[in-house]
Formats: sequence, C-alpha cells, structure tokens
Amino acid sequence: MTQTTRILTVDDSPSMRALLNHALSTQGFEVAQAEDGLAALDWLALNEVDVVITDINMPRLDGFGLIERLREGTRHRDRPILVLTTESSDEKKARAREAGATGWIVKPFDAAKLVAAVRRVTH
Amino acid sequence: MFERRILGSLERPIERVTVMQGQALVSNDATIEFSTVLGSCVASCLYDPEARVGGMNHFLLSEPPAGLAATTTIDEHYGVYLMELLVNQMLGMGARKSRLRAHLYGGANVNRNMMRIGTANAEFAQAFLKREGIMVMREDLGGTSARRVDFRPASGQIRCRTVEDRLAPPVKPTTRPAIASGDVELF
Repeated sequence: MTQTTRILTVDDSPSMRALLNHALSTQGFEVAQAEDGLAALDWLALNEVDVVITDINMPRLDGFGLIERLREGTRHRDRPILVLTTESSDEKKARAREAGATGWIVKPFDAAKLVAAVRRVTH
Repeated sequence: MFERRILGSLERPIERVTVMQGQALVSNDATIEFSTVLGSCVASCLYDPEARVGGMNHFLLSEPPAGLAATTTIDEHYGVYLMELLVNQMLGMGARKSRLRAHLYGGANVNRNMMRIGTANAEFAQAFLKREGIMVMREDLGGTSARRVDFRPASGQIRCRTVEDRLAPPVKPTTRPAIASGDVELF
C-alpha cells in the first residue's frame, strides 16, 4: 500500500494557502497549512511531514529563517523544502540555497509543475 | 533642521505617475501622486497610516488559461499573485499587513460585452481583501461610468471622480505570462 505524501504549506496569505491546498489535495496529497515560519515550527514539533513548501516574505519568521531553523537539527536535515515565492532575484535564490532549500519555484505557480516537483523530491 | 528639510520636500511640485494596467506601484514620497483612469478595470489602493506608505495596482483579469480546471470565471490564481506583489512591495518599504487599509475602484460596465468580467474582477478584489483581513475603507465599484483615481501614497489621500467613458482607454484582460510561469529549479 502506498503511503500518502504529507505536505506542509507555509504562507501568510490565506488566498495563496487556499490555492495551494486545492492544487495539492486534488492530486491526492495530504495538506497542512501554517501562516508563518513560527507557526510552521510549532506544527512540525508535533507532526510528521514529507515535504515543506514555504513562502519567503512572512511576518515573525520568514522563509529563510524557517529553513535555517529546520536544518539546524537532525530531524529535518534531509527533509525536502521547496521555496515558493514572488521573489525573482538571483541573490534571494542563492540565499535560499545556502540556507538549505531543496528547490525554488516562482509564483504564479503552475499546479502541474508544482506537483511534479513534489513527486520528484519525495521519490 | 529636520522640519526644514520636510518643508523643503513639500515645496517641490507634485509629480503625477500614471499606473498602467498590469502595474503595481508603491511609494512613501510626499511629492508623488499615483493616477489612473478605469473603465472595467479595478484599482486597489492600499495604505499603511503608520509607515505612511501607499501602493496602487490596476488590473483586469482574464478567464483562467485553457486546460486548467476552471472553477471561476476569471484567473484568480494570477490575481492573487498580482495582489501579493503589491502587498510585498509595501512590506518591503516598512508597511505591516495588519495595518493596511484599502480602497477599491472601477469594475464599471462600460462595455456591454465585458460586463461580466468587470463585475467578476470587482468581486475578486473584495473577496481577496476579506480573506486577507485587510479592511476596506471605501469602495466605488460597478455602475456604467469610467472613473479617474488620484492617490497620494505618503498621506493616503484619495480622490475618485467619474469621467467621460472615452477617457478610459479600451483594454484587454491581462493574461498571465505563458513563459517562466511557475518555473521550478531543484538545487
């Protein structure tokens, strides 16, 4: 029996979270949502996940901070983390890579490309 | 000294900047005035009274791209992206999302053939702001007349008046770019 892939989406925009939830859950993924980096850390302290998809610009703890915090410990050291952002600068992309991101996706996202990326990093 | 510098800057003439369809502009400069003329298009004006930063966008969303499971009459996915761009630019200038106040204008039924899409765009903007918890201070949407909106981003002052329809340029709905949309790069 194949286990369902569990995804945590982290974005401060409820509209974007709703779009992501629709795009991923209709493809059979189990989707949880967090509104910023700190909420994501709280959720991850109590739950297991296969992939994290995170925005960059968020209050309290941004995407860079979230990735750095997750990579500090051993539990999420190898967890695939995809950045999904409106940022298009090479500098920000390099910073995400340095922090330990697995991939970089530019908004507006294409649902098919996003699903393909999730499948690729989980297999 | 500081006061004199501010007075000096206010003595400069107001520079009017036109916000074109598909654009989102943000400023905290007291000598800037954003201006746009709307027919069926919608303009969102956002303002943070504490950071004294304002921004305006101007859009008319098209139908969703072919091949996508369309559950809406317009491409809301692209609309969310355009609104997020405006909000992120404002956050980059010191605004806070929880302090943002919004004004919405446009969405007139100037062209009978585009009536549905103008209305749908106005409804999209209202629903987006509600979902995001951004308070709408004033809206002037729908009707049959074109509007001109002048917005001073540093003070939040807004003036909206009806204008002759011929002043609103004929527009086509903005479609999301076909290339480089949602590109994925795995490290």
